[in-house]
Amino acid sequence: MKLTPTPKNTSTAKLSVFWSSLRRNPMGLVGLAMLAFIVTVAILAPLIAPYDPKSTSGITSSDIYNPPSAAHLFGTDDAGKDVLSSFILGSRISLIVGFFAAFISIVIGGVVGIVAGYYGGRVENILMRVTDIMLVIPDLPLMVVIIALTKPSLFNIIFVIGIFGWTTTARVVRSQTLAVKSRKFVMRARAIGAGNMHIIRHHVLPLVLPLLVVQAVLTVSAAILNESTLSFLGLGDPTSPSWGQMLNFAFGRGAMSTGAWWVLVVPGFGIVWVVLSLTLFGQGLEQVLNPRLNTHHLMPGKPTVQNGRVDLDQEKGALLEIQHLSIHYINEDKTAARAVEDISFTLNKGELIGLVGESGCGKTTLMLSLLRLLPAAGQIVNGKVFFNGKDLTALSEEELNTVRWKEISIVFQGAMNALNPVRTVGDQIAEAITKHVPAMPHDKLQERVTELLDLVGIAADHKNHYPHQYSGGMRQRAMIAMALACDPQVIIADEPTTALDVMIQAQILELLDSLRKKLGLAIIFVTHDLGVVAEICDKVLVMYGGVTAEYADVDTIYNEARHPYTQELLKAFPDLTKPKKKLSSIPGYPPRLDALPAGCRFAPRCPIAFERCRIEQPSLHAVGAEHFASCHLVEAVQ
Amino acid sequence: MLLKRLGWALFTILFVVILNFFLFRILPGDPARQGIRDPRLSLETINAIRVRFGLDKPVINCFETLNPIKIGSCGVNPLDTQFFIYVGNLLKGDMGTSFYYNRPVEEVLGERLWNTILLIGAGQILAILLGVIFGLFAAWKVRTALDYTALISGLVAWSLPTFWLAIILLFWGTNMGLPIGGKATPGMSSYPFMDQLGDLFQHLFLPTLAYTIIYMGEYMLIMRSSLLDVLAEDYIMAAKAKGLSTFQILKDHALKNSMLPLVTIIAINLGFTVAGVIQIETVFSWPGLGGAIFESVGRKDYPLLQGAFLLIAICVILANLIADLTYSYLDPRVQVD
Repeated sequence: MKLTPTPKNTSTAKLSVFWSSLRRNPMGLVGLAMLAFIVTVAILAPLIAPYDPKSTSGITSSDIYNPPSAAHLFGTDDAGKDVLSSFILGSRISLIVGFFAAFISIVIGGVVGIVAGYYGGRVENILMRVTDIMLVIPDLPLMVVIIALTKPSLFNIIFVIGIFGWTTTARVVRSQTLAVKSRKFVMRARAIGAGNMHIIRHHVLPLVLPLLVVQAVLTVSAAILNESTLSFLGLGDPTSPSWGQMLNFAFGRGAMSTGAWWVLVVPGFGIVWVVLSLTLFGQGLEQVLNPRLNTHHLMPGKPTVQNGRVDLDQEKGALLEIQHLSIHYINEDKTAARAVEDISFTLNKGELIGLVGESGCGKTTLMLSLLRLLPAAGQIVNGKVFFNGKDLTALSEEELNTVRWKEISIVFQGAMNALNPVRTVGDQIAEAITKHVPAMPHDKLQERVTELLDLVGIAADHKNHYPHQYSGGMRQRAMIAMALACDPQVIIADEPTTALDVMIQAQILELLDSLRKKLGLAIIFVTHDLGVVAEICDKVLVMYGGVTAEYADVDTIYNEARHPYTQELLKAFPDLTKPKKKLSSIPGYPPRLDALPAGCRFAPRCPIAFERCRIEQPSLHAVGAEHFASCHLVEAVQ
Repeated sequence: MLLKRLGWALFTILFVVILNFFLFRILPGDPARQGIRDPRLSLETINAIRVRFGLDKPVINCFETLNPIKIGSCGVNPLDTQFFIYVGNLLKGDMGTSFYYNRPVEEVLGERLWNTILLIGAGQILAILLGVIFGLFAAWKVRTALDYTALISGLVAWSLPTFWLAIILLFWGTNMGLPIGGKATPGMSSYPFMDQLGDLFQHLFLPTLAYTIIYMGEYMLIMRSSLLDVLAEDYIMAAKAKGLSTFQILKDHALKNSMLPLVTIIAINLGFTVAGVIQIETVFSWPGLGGAIFESVGRKDYPLLQGAFLLIAICVILANLIADLTYSYLDPRVQVD
């Protein structure tokens, strides 16, 4: 049995992690500081207020609506009272109403959300229906009606704001509870017979709590806004003047026509201060709890650089020639993850090269870099990509756009995500053609789309269907049809058969192979499945941890593999007709690209590694004609 | 699905009608009872008022068989109770008589409804349009000065109390020589149509500006975060791989997808929009439904308050239904029929 650490320890540890990430969040910090300031003012209010707003002694009619002066920093109001003092004491009312009303809302919302999410079924149905109704009924008019019909006391205001402010919390908490409920440890706790209350208290609540805190902060700000609005509409508690009421009096009693801007500006500024502080703090908390990378595919990429570590070879006149390509991911904290290092290969017309390696070894990064589709953090730091003699790494975005899809297209991994869900498949195929052959008339275009779909075995009547109406295999085939749309010379197929069942896999492989023979396509086939490679590839490049482990034609790889990694991979495939999934038989995991070992990247998992492997990175040695391996043992043999 | 949504909207409206009826009967501020308590009134007058407002009738039949604790009066004709008379009158379009105007409530509110729709319509269209455009740029240029400016101004706009912004704008506007309130300059109705229209625009300018600032920030923040999600999707990379330009990708692949969450938020927001309208109409004395709520509170004109609340709630529910149907029209993954 695993020992559970005492709850106190874990919660303090969690708090310190939380605090250290909040410290790096400027938005949250500013909000917290602003909030701390106004809370201090509210607590010390009677001590720091220069005048007592309740007393009228010494006030004469000449004190009414006096502009700011040394005696009255923020001027005086319609009753000749000091605005600053009323402002300071008013902070208490806003904060009291905000916090207590939010407390009511959070308790109701939290209970409704957890119960609905946890118990599900009819209970959930009824609770969420009630929430929906509450959400759709405009709450301010309802609050106005209720307070107008009862007494506008502080208690009523808190109560009314509280019971109408819980709907958002209930919805958010419910979806979080649903997510938590299906987590393994909760299922396990249920399986061993833990009671519902126990599970909710010990498993669900701790995971919902952070979210409740964020919601609480945002609910307080909404409650303060509601209080000020009600007070402004004349429904505030007359015995405890709040900022909203100050504005109500000023607006109703001629401040506007007198030009007494200070009475109108100061209280409003207080409301903005509190609400903004809570909003910033809430947003900051939210960012700490759910960090978002905030990167996307349209951000400008990092410019290609040539750090010149490796001399470039002469071009060999192949269709596609990748020379000493290195790619780094530059993180926010400036550390670089060396995702791809010094990869070279060539591809001729009609050739099919297999790019093999475990997940996370840089295959996809390498493929995306060919058309410069890397995520914003990715940067080509060395090397060239020659296509028909043009260096793709040196082209401008506009020039590259004429190569993309027209000459080199991609069959993406996971076609469901690579197809736009709100446009029909046929439309998305046609779009690619229109982009590169804009002159094609409409009927010919439609004919071409039908022809392409037919080529991959999809009936014409599926043309106007949406991706979600396709099956997984159909989507993948539609993706291939799309890749073929502009008669490209090279197709990059990034694990096109992963996550498909064996029958469909075979169909798609056969399709790609026949297209290659029929159309003379050159294909780069990215996969972690050596069986697939054996069936259709001409050449194989085995990648490990971002570098070339071994590169040769397919027969050499299967019969004379020299790199221990290739040998281990092959051992995991005793029978080529057997489906994949035995890769795990090499103990351990591929290295993290931001924490690569000092020596050979495979050394930690290599069964025959020796001292030198842990210190020195092996270079790529030629073992035979067009056969390369990066292993110290290969060098020794030579 | 369509029928189900329609049924749900009807159910919600029915709920609001019931709520609206009982709030005004249960809570201590009951209109006619308040009036009756006035000691200067003679018994005959009190009875006359009771009859006039139908208060001599039982509130509701207790429906013995359904209701074991016997709430309501038992053994009366269910149709001759205050509740059913109220519902029956509503169905006939009769919302009672305003205490203050001494005119039918539906007549008073009918004029005001259009003024409110004009204000909301102008403000909402501007807020959505500007919010979408700014949100689009902020997301596209994420983590640049432009994005941070948009983010901070969005959060500040979100934190502004609507009525306060309206007051500040009114202060500024009157100094700039804009009209201080209402919908038209008195006596304007004798001028030519184009002059009247210009006058209306002048009056509409400040309220619309206030409305736009308040809601634009929120729409911008939602658009920004929604577009950020969409732009990180694989199909955007696929579109880029196809050789489409940034403009084409934004227009053809990102805009529609990222607008979908916005439609939902706009629908949910309609309830909150009403809160803004009440404040804006109050500050600018705009003769709409929101202003009616504020005025009838001050004048204790309960029939008008009741009617205005009901009308606003029904409008929001219907608008919500429309937004819901729009969503299913825009997103092929949701089936309506």
